[in-house]
Amino acid sequence: MGWIGSPHMDYLGGGIMDNEVKFMIGRIYFAIFGLVVLSIGILEILLSLTGRSFEWGIMEMSGEFLLWRGLILFFAGAFYLPSIKNFTDIHQLAKVVMASVMIWIIAGVKIFSMILESIPGEEGWLNTFEGFLESYSAPYIPSLFLLPFSLVVLYYIRLSGEMLRGGRR
Amino acid sequence: MKILLMGHPNVGKSAVFNRLTGAKVTESNYPGTTVDYTKGYMRLEGKDVEIIDVPGTFSLEPKDKAEEVAVKMLKENRDSVIICVIDSVKLERGLYLALEIIEEGYPVVIALNMWDVAEDKNIRIDVEKLENILGVPIVPTIAVSGEGIKELVSRIKEASPIDIEKIVEKAGGVEQ
Amino acid sequence: MKLTVDERWDLIDKIAKQTVKYGKYRHTLKDAIAEITVKPLTGIPIAIAVLYGFWSFFGAFAGFFTDGFLVKLFDNHWLPWLQEVFPGKGGWVYYILVGDPMADNCFEAFGMLTSGLFVAIGVVLPAIVAFYLFLIILEDSGYLPRLAVLVDTVLHKIGLHGFAVVPMILSLGCNVPAVAATRTLETRKQRFMMATLLAIFIPCGAQLGIMLEVIPGYVGFVMIYLLTGFFIFGFILNKLIPGKSPEILLDVPPYHMPIARNVRRKLWVRVRSFFTVAIPFVLLGVVIVNIMYLTGFLDWLANLLEPILCGWFGVPKETVGPLIAAFLRKDLAVAQLSAIEMSTYQLVTSVILVSLYFPCVATFAMLIKEGREGGWKGVAQYLFGSLAALIAVVFLWGGLVHLIWIILGVA
Repeated sequence: MGWIGSPHMDYLGGGIMDNEVKFMIGRIYFAIFGLVVLSIGILEILLSLTGRSFEWGIMEMSGEFLLWRGLILFFAGAFYLPSIKNFTDIHQLAKVVMASVMIWIIAGVKIFSMILESIPGEEGWLNTFEGFLESYSAPYIPSLFLLPFSLVVLYYIRLSGEMLRGGRR
Repeated sequence: MKILLMGHPNVGKSAVFNRLTGAKVTESNYPGTTVDYTKGYMRLEGKDVEIIDVPGTFSLEPKDKAEEVAVKMLKENRDSVIICVIDSVKLERGLYLALEIIEEGYPVVIALNMWDVAEDKNIRIDVEKLENILGVPIVPTIAVSGEGIKELVSRIKEASPIDIEKIVEKAGGVEQ
Repeated sequence: MKLTVDERWDLIDKIAKQTVKYGKYRHTLKDAIAEITVKPLTGIPIAIAVLYGFWSFFGAFAGFFTDGFLVKLFDNHWLPWLQEVFPGKGGWVYYILVGDPMADNCFEAFGMLTSGLFVAIGVVLPAIVAFYLFLIILEDSGYLPRLAVLVDTVLHKIGLHGFAVVPMILSLGCNVPAVAATRTLETRKQRFMMATLLAIFIPCGAQLGIMLEVIPGYVGFVMIYLLTGFFIFGFILNKLIPGKSPEILLDVPPYHMPIARNVRRKLWVRVRSFFTVAIPFVLLGVVIVNIMYLTGFLDWLANLLEPILCGWFGVPKETVGPLIAAFLRKDLAVAQLSAIEMSTYQLVTSVILVSLYFPCVATFAMLIKEGREGGWKGVAQYLFGSLAALIAVVFLWGGLVHLIWIILGVA
């Protein structure tokens, strides 16, 4: 079956792009993204096991729980990868969603703790303005960079929801 | 008169209870949170009526301590109306308990809770027909958001003891 | 007329056929997600991520309030002010309420109004709020029972089913409701086992919070050590105690969005009970230990127990004070331990001892209450059974830490 312009998809209509094209893009996108996430995960695991850290521009791989973050990213990457084969299947989409949620958890608690750490001061009650800004300065952990790219999944959740409802009619 | 809330574990009894009484019982999304009973009061036609949130039980033959409490509550309150809360997705299992209670001679109202989940799963229940066969008031509810609770309350007064033979007859008999 | 079981099912079958229509069942995304969170291959990685989130959130939230504000409030303002204005410096009332007049932080002051209030409000309260907030969200979203399914296989090995994880997780908040929750287990054997294991091995949220403050780098080790003990002794108890451990099918509820109102309400109920139940015990604990110290009883007891404490467990004899306080509140005991001079490894050992040794008084009362179902004989069985298990565990599992340190050459 061809993936461009299958007639049975037409009633979903409206968009410029056919849904199958959109899913094809998603398939390639998440396969590549998965590979990136997987590599970062492996790198973090290796670094933590050898007790080293790594800094590259504004990104760093170090700190407490590096091994755990590495493991989680490794698994998230592994969840994304099979997208290349069966991205349209709801079970694969579920894995992509959960992989993204795993990245959101790491990035989310990191942002949360950055905010909380920026408010109180060293000695006084509140932080100085410089100290406040400094809390948000680079380098950042990889998951913060991965976060925006993982949000793409929200688009596909909506799309698959629309298709499911459409299919019931 | 008292009202007893009964049903399987984790069908939303505590959620229904909170809706009815405005009380603050903790609702949890896992089975077995209510291991003891909770009492509260609700307004019914201008009167305060006692209502009891009974621990979840699968049948009237108790298998654990929480279920024993449930059966004891039922036996001790012969004059009560039972609101039987059923998970709409698992209608059959819920009906088993409901029938047991009906056979004991209690007036029963059935709340088909988690109606939204059943709709999601494409399960359609013909409420009118079910009501017709059982002869008891049946109300679809979504307790967490409060849908159907008002109707449930308004139909409590319609509950009366039903003879199980009538149900058997309407359903088309049972195999002996 | 009453129906037999078979007749009833037959009747239900007839009714259902006439009233229920199952439409074409489509797997929704929610179903698919529900599925992969319980399958071990995908479920375990997700569980790791969730627990990582839980832990990081807990640390950040508690650290923000405790280190960011409350430590400063208590050490720089409350303690100096109280030491200044409280009358009768050097007297016993001063000692009980304010503690050491030379102390420069609330951990070492040991007074009821200094250390007592600081532990209860400065350290434990933020930890409790953070813990329950996250737990309630996990509860209401429907994730917790899935975790139960995941650990089902492991729990089966010790004669419990996956359902037993509910009391276990509740226990991480507070052991008291956890012991009450063992009622959902079927047999008396299972209930006794679970209640005993919980009371001995699972540290409560208050204790976790203070451990995070006192030995941040070793909390992970302590937790793994205690959980390993939980399973090993669970396995042994399962073999020793007569009785059956039947299976049960676990019902997994659907996922849904937690409702803010419900989360708020539950959080409030639990935090309120912390104020009314826990704080009085913390304050009382400080007073009792201080009185024992003033009368010389503590020194006498410390010397008496020195061979056991120093010889078997390898901790200083001064830990006897915190061990007594541990009977009232474990969080208080851990805080008091941190003020005693000893090596980090000795501190870790004594924190483990505090966790294992006697359940706190509230849990103890709950154990008695649960034992009552079998009359006085039941209470005696529960108590002596628990005590026997407890003594064995404290000596074996507590002594083993010492052995580990000796082998590693750090004792």
